[in-house]
Order: sequence, then structure tokens, then C-alpha cells
Amino acid sequence: MKAERDELGFDAPAPLGHPVRASLPENAPTGPAIGDRLPDFSLPNAFGQMVTFHEDRGVSKAALVFYRSAVW
Amino acid sequence: MRDAFAKFEAAGIKLYALSYDDQETLTEFAEKQGVQYTLLSDTDSRVIKQYGLLNQQLSKEDAFLYGIPYPGVYVCDENGTVVSKFFHDSYKKRESPEILIDAALGRITIDETAPQAVSSDDGIRIMAALHGGNGSLRQGIVRQLVTTFELPDGLHIYGEPVPQGLTATEIRVEGPDGLVTLPIEAPPTTPLHLKALGIDLNVWSGTVNLAIPLYPVGELVSECRPIDEREVELSVHVTFQACTNETCLLPETRSLTLRVALEEVDVPNLPIHTGHGQREGSYDSTPAMKRLIWRKIRKNPLRLLQFIWNRKRMERRSKRES
Repeated sequence: MKAERDELGFDAPAPLGHPVRASLPENAPTGPAIGDRLPDFSLPNAFGQMVTFHEDRGVSKAALVFYRSAVW
Repeated sequence: MRDAFAKFEAAGIKLYALSYDDQETLTEFAEKQGVQYTLLSDTDSRVIKQYGLLNQQLSKEDAFLYGIPYPGVYVCDENGTVVSKFFHDSYKKRESPEILIDAALGRITIDETAPQAVSSDDGIRIMAALHGGNGSLRQGIVRQLVTTFELPDGLHIYGEPVPQGLTATEIRVEGPDGLVTLPIEAPPTTPLHLKALGIDLNVWSGTVNLAIPLYPVGELVSECRPIDEREVELSVHVTFQACTNETCLLPETRSLTLRVALEEVDVPNLPIHTGHGQREGSYDSTPAMKRLIWRKIRKNPLRLLQFIWNRKRMERRSKRES
């Protein structure tokens, strides 16, 4: 497939306009603000164990990444 | 992220990555790609919604895509309070891990091995270094060209605004087409009031790091063709004026040049991404893709038709284009 370049200059193998390539709208929500405490949650990790975020973090600093997918 | 895990660990920062992928996918992904940080599975996008990050541009008709977040990163302190967050206008843009670590620690730590150039003159040492990711450029990954001033005691340089007759510090990075630079990131200046002259100044003194975030786009590094040049040249033009409280040196511009490598993009091991000369993952995600589609279809059988329809539309379009 021919690469189509988007308005920000990036190439990707999917055609422009395909939802997989949508840029983020200008006013896209970005969740908790600087100074907020990150909302707590529990989710399974790669080994099926439940991880409760703040409990697991303990007293460590942390980076919490929201990404699209490990699949595609 | 994977390669930088040791750096996160050394800095005492825990790393979590959350997606809508099922747990089996994450198990395979972690095993095949050697991921050591915590992968979290949010299959029904519950936490993505809780954080208000559900990608609303996708509708449920987008079947297997629906449920993904607007991608971004939060960096929190020991209390879990957000100290920095990074969200961009494109899913292709993301911070180099080193920038996340700097944000957590509140300072810039440049690797000794980073490509760098130094200019020492008049006792003022200026170093320009490409900070992040072993000093290479990679599509969409935001790294920094950091200019470090080492000013002898008593000397300072200026931030904006400056009174007429003085020169504020300015840094311009010149690179090949397809290199995007973002506005400078600088530590806060210290106010300096010179009574005799009745003027207020904004100064930096000692060691100062001024960072220009930058990343390459398709013209320079594309995930759809092999990299044709392995290395490119960046020129950094640093204009400044150093002064004591009493006298000033003349304004000057120093130019430093560094050569930096271009790096392949990590692409998923799926037919659409492979064969373009990029760094293909060792994790074949085709079975995970099938599982993902099946998961969506099970929830609503109509999704199967939508999936086929979307795929046909994409194929037709790509035929038309080529």
C-alpha cells in the first residue's frame, strides 16, 4: 500500500480518513489535571493478577501510559 | 519503553501501561517482546472511561477499534499526584522515556553517550546534546536538543523580556526537512533588579539547561519505507549575552554541529505493517487481532458485517490510490 501522509506529516500504512489514523481533536479531553491525585483503579496485569494502582505503586513515583493497543 | 525500563527502575519510577487489549494478548506481548513493566488489561475500557479518555472520534461502528483511549501519559509523585502529563494532537507523537523520567525527577539528566558538541570560550562552556533514546531520532518520538550553559560565578544570561540594548538568549535548531521543532522549554528565570539603573531583568546563572523538543515526521523517517540516510546533521545556533551586575560582554552567537542517527520505527508484526524496512516486533499479533475481533463480534454480531464492510472499503480505497 502506498503511504499517505497526514496533515501533521506522519506516514502510516492505512489510508487517510481511516478511523485508525484519526488525529486527536484540538479539545480532546486529557483526564486528570496536574495537581490532581490519579484516580485509583484495579485491573488484571499480563499474568492475570489484579493490580490496584496506588497500592501497587506504594510510595514510588510512577508513569501511567494510556496507549492504543499492543495488537495493531 | 522496553529499552528504557532499566532507567525507570534506576530512577525509582514504576511504569504502567494500560490498553484495551485482553490479558492473553498482554501475556504473549510481554513474553515475546521481553516487557518488564506492568501491562494492564482494560478490556471493557472501564478505566479509560473513568479517566475520561475514551476516544470519542470512534463510534461503535468502528467495531474493533472502539474502546481505545486518546493516548497519553501521566507522571505522578510519591503521593500519586500528577506532576506532568503528555497528550498530543497525533497518536504518533509521544515522549521519549527519558523525558518522562526527567519530569518525575524534576531535572534533566543527559546520558554521557548522547551525541554532543561543546564550545568553550571566555570561560563560558556551552554544550548541545541530543537527549533521549540513545541519541537517535525516531518517527514521532519527542526528544530534546538540550543546550547546557555553564556560566562562571558572577555571570548571568537573559531570558525574555529584556530591556533595549541587551540580548535575550535564543536557540535555533537547524536540521533536515522533516524535522519538527517545538517551542523551547526553560527553567524559570530569577528576577534581578539593578538599582543603579532602575531596571528589572530575568536571568539564569550557574548551570542552565534549555531544551528544544523535536521529532522527525514522514519526510525524514517513515514507517512505510526503509531509512535511506543513517545519519543527519543538526546545527544549533545559540545567541546570548553574558553579563555581571556591573558590565556586559558583547552579545554573541555560537554554532554547534552534531550528527545524529535516524532510527527505525517499531511496528507491530501484522501484514499491513511488515515489509517496509522497519523494526518488526517479535510478537506476531495476528491471533490477538482475531481474538479482538471475535470479542467485539460476540458482544454484537452486527460488528462482523461492519468489520467486513470497513475492510472492503479500505481495500477499495487503497486500490484506487495505487
